[in-house]
Amino acid sequence: MSAKGEIRIEKVNKAFDATLAVKDVDLVIEAGSYCCMLGPSGCGKTTFLRMIAGHETPTSGRILIGGADVTNIPTGSRGTALMFQNYALFPHLSVQENVAFSLKVAGLGTAERRERAMAMLQRVQLAHLADRVPAQLSGGQQQRVALARALVTNPQVLLLDEPLSALDEFLRLRMRSELKRLQKDLGITFVHVTHTQPEAIALADQVVIMDQGIVEQSGGPRDVYDNPHSPYVARFMGGQNLIFGTVEGSSKSGAAVVDGAGNRFTLSSSDLLKGQKVAFAIRRDGAKLADKPGNAENAIRGEISNIEYQGTFVKVALKTAQKDEFIVYLADGEYFARPRAVGDTICAVWPSTGNHFLAGENNSSGDPSGH
Amino acid sequence: MQPSSRKKPISFYTLAAFFGLFILFLYGPMLSIFILSFQGTHGNMTFPLRAVSTHWFGDLFTSTRYGDLGGAFRRSMAMALAALAVTAVVCFFAGLAFRKRFWGAGPIFYLSIVSLVIPGLLLSFGIGQMFQLAGLRLHWMISGLGAHLSWTLPFGLLIMFAVLNRFDGSWEEAARDAGATPSQVLRFVTLPILFPGLIAVALFGFTLSYDEFPRSQLTLGTRNTLPLEVANMTSSVTTPALYAIGTITTVISLAVIALAFAAIAAVQRRRGKSARPPSHS
Amino acid sequence: MPRASLTPYLQVAPLALIMVLFVAVPLAVLVTLSFWLSDGISLTPAFSFDNYKLVLSSAITWKLLFATLKFAAITWFFTLLIGFTCSYFLVFHVRNLKLQIALFLLCTIPFWTSNVIRMISWVPFLGKEGLFNQMLQSLGMIDQPLEFLLFSDFAVILTYVHLFTLFMMVPIFNSMAKINPSVIEAAVDAGASHFMVLKDIIIPLTRTGIALGSIFVVTLVMGDFFVIRVMSGGQSANIASAMKNNIDQLYYPDAAAMAVFLIIAVLLPIVAILRIVDVRAELAR
Repeated sequence: MSAKGEIRIEKVNKAFDATLAVKDVDLVIEAGSYCCMLGPSGCGKTTFLRMIAGHETPTSGRILIGGADVTNIPTGSRGTALMFQNYALFPHLSVQENVAFSLKVAGLGTAERRERAMAMLQRVQLAHLADRVPAQLSGGQQQRVALARALVTNPQVLLLDEPLSALDEFLRLRMRSELKRLQKDLGITFVHVTHTQPEAIALADQVVIMDQGIVEQSGGPRDVYDNPHSPYVARFMGGQNLIFGTVEGSSKSGAAVVDGAGNRFTLSSSDLLKGQKVAFAIRRDGAKLADKPGNAENAIRGEISNIEYQGTFVKVALKTAQKDEFIVYLADGEYFARPRAVGDTICAVWPSTGNHFLAGENNSSGDPSGH
Repeated sequence: MQPSSRKKPISFYTLAAFFGLFILFLYGPMLSIFILSFQGTHGNMTFPLRAVSTHWFGDLFTSTRYGDLGGAFRRSMAMALAALAVTAVVCFFAGLAFRKRFWGAGPIFYLSIVSLVIPGLLLSFGIGQMFQLAGLRLHWMISGLGAHLSWTLPFGLLIMFAVLNRFDGSWEEAARDAGATPSQVLRFVTLPILFPGLIAVALFGFTLSYDEFPRSQLTLGTRNTLPLEVANMTSSVTTPALYAIGTITTVISLAVIALAFAAIAAVQRRRGKSARPPSHS
Repeated sequence: MPRASLTPYLQVAPLALIMVLFVAVPLAVLVTLSFWLSDGISLTPAFSFDNYKLVLSSAITWKLLFATLKFAAITWFFTLLIGFTCSYFLVFHVRNLKLQIALFLLCTIPFWTSNVIRMISWVPFLGKEGLFNQMLQSLGMIDQPLEFLLFSDFAVILTYVHLFTLFMMVPIFNSMAKINPSVIEAAVDAGASHFMVLKDIIIPLTRTGIALGSIFVVTLVMGDFFVIRVMSGGQSANIASAMKNNIDQLYYPDAAAMAVFLIIAVLLPIVAILRIVDVRAELAR
């Protein structure tokens, strides 16, 4: 029995002319949860959102909302409301008329429309601007009007298309917490599309990462952050180093891995074969700096290419034999006890417990702009 | 946007003077016949004004020397209003159509451009002959209006293109998302937002038809429009009454223009728009 | 959804219908008519080149063509000069945007009044007893009134420039207003003189507007049959005015052949201009 607001995506494909924007996606979004769709530009997340909204029709597959098959039901009748990236506020209507628009097309009387619109505007703290026109509002205010307009229809699902991208840094952080609060208060399902990883893990109960039309990984934010499925997810989520190497020897307790420059690592996976090419991730704050490998379980040698002070921690980037930079986050006290210089040859060392084997094969760059 | 502070103010003043002369060049002659239309009863068609009177205005209405001015004026007005209505409606929907790709879009567009560029006399000749060969009688509201529309519709279409370029499709999507039917989207969102553009199209439709001269030749049948009557008067009339009719018809045109501008300004004001759109778009 | 794809056809149908009926068909009729024969009273459908032979072999035709092109070229030159300069002034020297638009609209308002009236309004100004001559005489600059001012080629060109500069100015103003001001600032920062900015940046970026304006002005002048007759006092003629004479005298196939000839004569400069500048992109904007 499906709960109200639960979204089921079954084998959905979407093709535009010759290109497949969404490929064979199966997904369940729990009712009343906050789901963030994450991925670079062009990965299909916006198309996906628009299919849930009903502004695009899947080429094949089914979409169910609250247990009902809405695949072929037009937008406006399926219990969803979309908040547009550019807000799309009607320029010729006042704020209150904008919010009351859906009530007008449903045939409600003027007095009742105004009353309900004002109630919604109270909720987003904009009642005092009810008679202004959109051109007279700031970006943040326009966004709240767009939100009020979407919510006045009492949707089961609120869809947000990059809602925070147009805001400046300060406003973005404030609106972020407001969205979270709003979702908890209303108890409905939010589906929020973004290309900004910190935003997604801050807000979401469920993070869905897409790349080129495919859902790469779906899970809770801690799960996706600590246990990325593939190199692409690891890169996109950030905070991880990627190591590519070959298995040298395998036993019941684990595998010894070596890379092209002779650096040695230990993985705890026991089902790997000798000669197999593997990739694994280690968190950036999971390693320390040392002059020599010593007897560390994992060590990688490299030359310091960049040092960045970030307040509570210092980023030290190493150029190694690996393709990606190896980055170590050291707590500021720890770093400044023994500061380094760019050009120093150094080792990064860490225990094997932090190594996370990457089973997935997607090796894309994870660049949010889509390159 | 100005040139750097090294600019000598001289170039600004030279250009400003040139521009001022151009304005004088544009409006001077009209002003002079405006003044001359108040020529005294015994004055002739050139300066100086012997006296100031409205004699020649009255002469237009009372004298029989000037042909069927009243009828011509009524016909011009009727055609202009018809052209206004037809142009606004036809170009509005045609503009919406051109947002999508459809078979025949290119040829129709190029045909409209051809209509703009082709000398009006040629087109009116062709229309007149087309009717005669088909055995149909020419009538000012049928063949004449059609000829006028061949001039006003392309202008209206180009204006719609310019207006629709700045129209954001997501407004219509937002309306559909809120549950509006296609008819509701048109009535509540598309049409109101595009309304200032429509006023401009209507303005072009009216004035271009009201003043239309070359395309009115050979397509009106037995009755004339005002521009044709005035053109005939240039050879036959030797009194300032000619200027009087010029003044009257110009004042009417200016009144219509002022009305249209006022309407557009009122709508823009209501929407809180300044001259430049907000930078977040 | 199949229903949605029918909508544009329904929406564009009225326009398409009117355009085909009142532009495409009449043009086809003209071309057809040019091959017919007339004995002065009735028309005989035929496929004869007689009319074309008559038109093309007559020396008068070529004189008229020369006159048509002459007027077009001179008018084009002056409208370009004035239109460009005034647009340049408005776009680059008037700081206040509202003032810019107000002045621009001021220039366009005469467009919405009658061309016939605007033409007539030069008569009291230019005549022997007209305002201009009276002014010059009272200032003592001349003894006798200048006769060439009215009923001459000068008057014709003056009227053309008066009527059609606007058609040159609007597209140029449009093109100039679209130039990104930072481009000019960057050039000035890099040391460009105003003349260099004009030559290397403004003119190239305005060429679409110049092309569009030129097409309008040239077609309007070449198609005029009225101004040339009235303002020259009947002394000058061009192809269009000669064609009008033919029509008035009911020599329809002759007139039709001249019409086709004129169409080709008008199309050639247009094609030439379009070769130099690709205007299609601009029209879509």
